[in-house]
Amino acid sequence: MPDGVPSNAGGGAARSAGGAARGARWRRWLASPTVISTAAAIAFAVAAGLALIALTGAQVGEAVAAFIDGAFGSAYAVAASINRATSLALVGIGFVLADRANLTNVGGEGQIAVGGMAATAAALYGGVAGLPLGLSFILPLTAAVLAGGLWGGIAGVLKLKAGTNEVISTLLLDFIAIWLVYWSVQSEALLRQPMTHSSTLPESLEIPDPTKLPIITGDPGVPLHIGLILAAVLAVLIAVVLSKSLFGLWLRAVGLNPTAARRAGISYGGVVGAALAIAGAFGGLAGGIMLLGEQYVLKSGFSSGYGFDGLVVGLLARGSVGGVIAGALFFGFLRSGGINMEMVAAVPSAVVLVIQGLIVVTLAGAAYWTRSRSAA
Amino acid sequence: MTWELFAVFIGSSVRLAVPLLLSSTGELVSERAGVLNMSLEGMMLTAAFAAAVGAWATGNPLLGLAIGIASALPVALLQAWLSNTLRANQIVTGIGINILVLGATTLAYREVFGARSREQIPGLDKWAPPGLRDVPIFGPAVFEQVWLLYAGLLVIVAVAIVLRYTSIGIALSACGADPRVVDKAGLSVVRIRYGAVLFTGFMAGIAGSFLSIGDIHTFTEGMTSGAGYLAIAAVIFGNWKLGPTLGACLLFGAATALQFQLPAMGVNVPNALLIMLPYVLALVAVGGLVGRQTAPAALTLPFIRAG
Repeated sequence: MPDGVPSNAGGGAARSAGGAARGARWRRWLASPTVISTAAAIAFAVAAGLALIALTGAQVGEAVAAFIDGAFGSAYAVAASINRATSLALVGIGFVLADRANLTNVGGEGQIAVGGMAATAAALYGGVAGLPLGLSFILPLTAAVLAGGLWGGIAGVLKLKAGTNEVISTLLLDFIAIWLVYWSVQSEALLRQPMTHSSTLPESLEIPDPTKLPIITGDPGVPLHIGLILAAVLAVLIAVVLSKSLFGLWLRAVGLNPTAARRAGISYGGVVGAALAIAGAFGGLAGGIMLLGEQYVLKSGFSSGYGFDGLVVGLLARGSVGGVIAGALFFGFLRSGGINMEMVAAVPSAVVLVIQGLIVVTLAGAAYWTRSRSAA
Repeated sequence: MTWELFAVFIGSSVRLAVPLLLSSTGELVSERAGVLNMSLEGMMLTAAFAAAVGAWATGNPLLGLAIGIASALPVALLQAWLSNTLRANQIVTGIGINILVLGATTLAYREVFGARSREQIPGLDKWAPPGLRDVPIFGPAVFEQVWLLYAGLLVIVAVAIVLRYTSIGIALSACGADPRVVDKAGLSVVRIRYGAVLFTGFMAGIAGSFLSIGDIHTFTEGMTSGAGYLAIAAVIFGNWKLGPTLGACLLFGAATALQFQLPAMGVNVPNALLIMLPYVLALVAVGGLVGRQTAPAALTLPFIRAG
């Protein structure tokens, strides 16, 4: 909206008129039903969470202090929270992209799982550790992207061939992938470390050092890895694709009216298949980054709800990539704080789940009022 | 396989299928009326927890069952309000409720049981129909089940009759097929759908209670572990018809029972593959490999009276 500002600044300098316009736009944005309802939902859920903490008999002040310490207390804590946010943001971006075509990808958890498995397999047995130019971790990440894309693509194929609702298929694929990880670390023929003695844990070997994601800060005490840069680049790329590219237009057309989109010559099947596969690829990349950037060892259940959190982040974002980043940071810090709260103040981190659930339910319910407001 | 092992397999298949049979019957009623409850999982988990706490606190499993069923109803009411009155996205709100319930029950479980975790909880008694009990080999293994199974079967039969032969059943299905017609006939679509979702809550309440105080006599965090989603898959598998849906539930139950059966028979199959089997079967089913599914036309679409 370059020309949408009435120049009522009364002969002020162009710079200050621009500032006023920006201020007005900010005020309008802040007053929009979406922003108000999102803020209200978060405030309500956090208040309910605090009340629950009080109900458990814990000192609320102590719990909050432990929370803040775990989320922001040290450079290490901040880096860990941002690393968490990176994975959540990737899942969320994939969700938003598919959502543009009116497709709901609930498969983040499974896509993370297969991505992490593929990355581990490539890092341990792909012979990549000796490769130069960062190929030692780029190739495992690529494997993760492909695995996730394939997993998401299955839902696309089922939708196109059999009309299967992608919510059901991606959800079932989540459970299948989670158990595939379990199987892969239980079986020595797959990814389990060699059983040298009876207490060998059912998990993979640690991946070789060259395949671990480089740490940006160079300081192991601040383990911020390059997944952050990768996610930032991808966020910008997808934001541009969604708002400016032909593919973005196709997604929107298919989402708004499949029949009209088909009549306009857009390949419905191609767009739906691509959207679900790309969303899956983002989930797979998130899994690869979690494995190569933080965990280094594949264990059963390593995805630990990140896919569902990423889904919530995508929902909260209401279609905007910027919203995904804000939501991912919020949830990343929420998770870190919740873990510390459980360890230090003995408040179960399930409080965080309650807060997340309340946010989703409240926001989805509040759409009733924001809809009628925007229509007016 | 010996006859004894086969009888045990049939018996455990049925036992493992019970929560699915009950909850998917409830979900079928609601989906016939046009409302999808992804929160089925949450309703079951709420009931499993409340029934366990109720039975433990009162020492009476019957009271536990009543508390379990009663606890699922507010969750269903919340879903009904979100789906019908606020006309919110049914899938999103359902998943939100599941996250909320998982957090709330985990939190409450730690508060209530704390260090006493894994404590045995008074459970429901077993019963076998007279006569069938004395069938050689199969009698005890197959027919001696928690009495709630037989009570649940009666409810399922009643549902079948109501759906097929009564005006309520016809109006219910019409709400899912063409709600405007129901509205024109002077019936309230929203009210029927509220009733249908509450019935789902009732059935999920029985199913969840069965899990904790019928089957294993304890509560574990997140113990439904996807059973609610499997029940929804069974409804799709069954093409929104009661008979095939129940068949799908039995199939999923049998697939789960194989986990325990095959090792007992000395067959070495990775455990994970067997745990995965019901989900793979469900995926194959919803993937149209057992014939094309036709959902109720108005499924997940909120009703708004035009003009």
